[in-house]
Amino acid sequence: MGTATACCSISPARLGSNPVFLRATLPLVMIANIADEDLVLRIAQGDHQHEAETELCRRFGPRVRLYGLRHLHSEDLAADLVQSVLLAVLEATRAGRIEEASHLDRFILGTCRNIAHRVREREARSTPMEAAALEPHTRLVEPSFERIDVGALLNCLGRLDARARSVILLSFQSESGTDEIAKLLETSVGNIRVLRHRALADLRGCLDGVGGARA
Amino acid sequence: MTCSTPIAWEDLVLYWAGDLAPEQVERLDEHLMGCAPCSAESARVSAVVEGLRELIPPVVTRVALARLRARGTRIEENTFSPGRQQVVFRRGVDVLVHRLAGFDLSGAERVRVAVRVESTGVLLVEDPNAPFDAQDGVLIACQQHFADLPPDILIEVSAIDASGAERTAKYSIPHVFEH
Repeated sequence: MGTATACCSISPARLGSNPVFLRATLPLVMIANIADEDLVLRIAQGDHQHEAETELCRRFGPRVRLYGLRHLHSEDLAADLVQSVLLAVLEATRAGRIEEASHLDRFILGTCRNIAHRVREREARSTPMEAAALEPHTRLVEPSFERIDVGALLNCLGRLDARARSVILLSFQSESGTDEIAKLLETSVGNIRVLRHRALADLRGCLDGVGGARA
Repeated sequence: MTCSTPIAWEDLVLYWAGDLAPEQVERLDEHLMGCAPCSAESARVSAVVEGLRELIPPVVTRVALARLRARGTRIEENTFSPGRQQVVFRRGVDVLVHRLAGFDLSGAERVRVAVRVESTGVLLVEDPNAPFDAQDGVLIACQQHFADLPPDILIEVSAIDASGAERTAKYSIPHVFEH
């Protein structure tokens, strides 16, 4: 894919000279608890590679999706971003191109920024050549996302007072700016911010209480 | 796993509301990508925000309706004049559009729409800057899941002109939902 900004490589010789890495044979159940750095080394070395790749996707897929939702404002584009970023990261990891394994998160964020930038500019083109090999891992991140039940959400919205409800709907449905909402409701920007975060906390609490989320 | 410097709920809401400066957004992006607990909390905010964004707003435009139709949403439309008129939400319909007409909006600078329960006066929804068309009127998107709400719905449409003068029309629309 070539979108990740690889620095210098972890050479096979360097990996081979690490006795801890060579002898690392943690039980598979422990893979969820190992550090990001160890995941990178295992993938590069091919030590429990499948499990390590699956864990990397499980760990970072949801975070990449959130980045996509926040910056691309679309569920579909966020899902595409997850696939593209994880493919690029796994490819770079397999090739030993992640210089600072302990800062895998920074590498992934850099990859997110690069690809999201291209998506925004309509320049992104996926290269599915190696997708077949990587998809089983990247697909694993999809089912666990929380979806809010519409009926429960409306019910909880109905429990907010009218002003809080207006702030919430103007903020997240009309996508009005805070200044604009303050002007419309004839109050201060600071007051809108307080009303908004309190109302969102009330909605979240209400949804947790009435089982408003579904997998 | 815990975070020694957790991101405050308030800041997560600002982040998802698009109410932070770019450098603050970058700082939060960095923290969230490397922090499982804060990322999980951010996901809880995001889920509600995305749920809100997916709701069909109560007051819609023709463009929004066309988009919904293109997605396969089954839409039926009725036209109302101020006064009282019952409506039946038929089975098989996803969105019942109430076109609120018979009220002059030609001089309006903005339109406020309030949806209330007529018998109690409880305010269900208020849009202080509702989309409208001077010829077409105001389009209200009534949805199947509104069946849980009281059926006696009163919609107030207020036209506010440049001088701030306000005129209001009331549409009393008792709803019957076919099950």
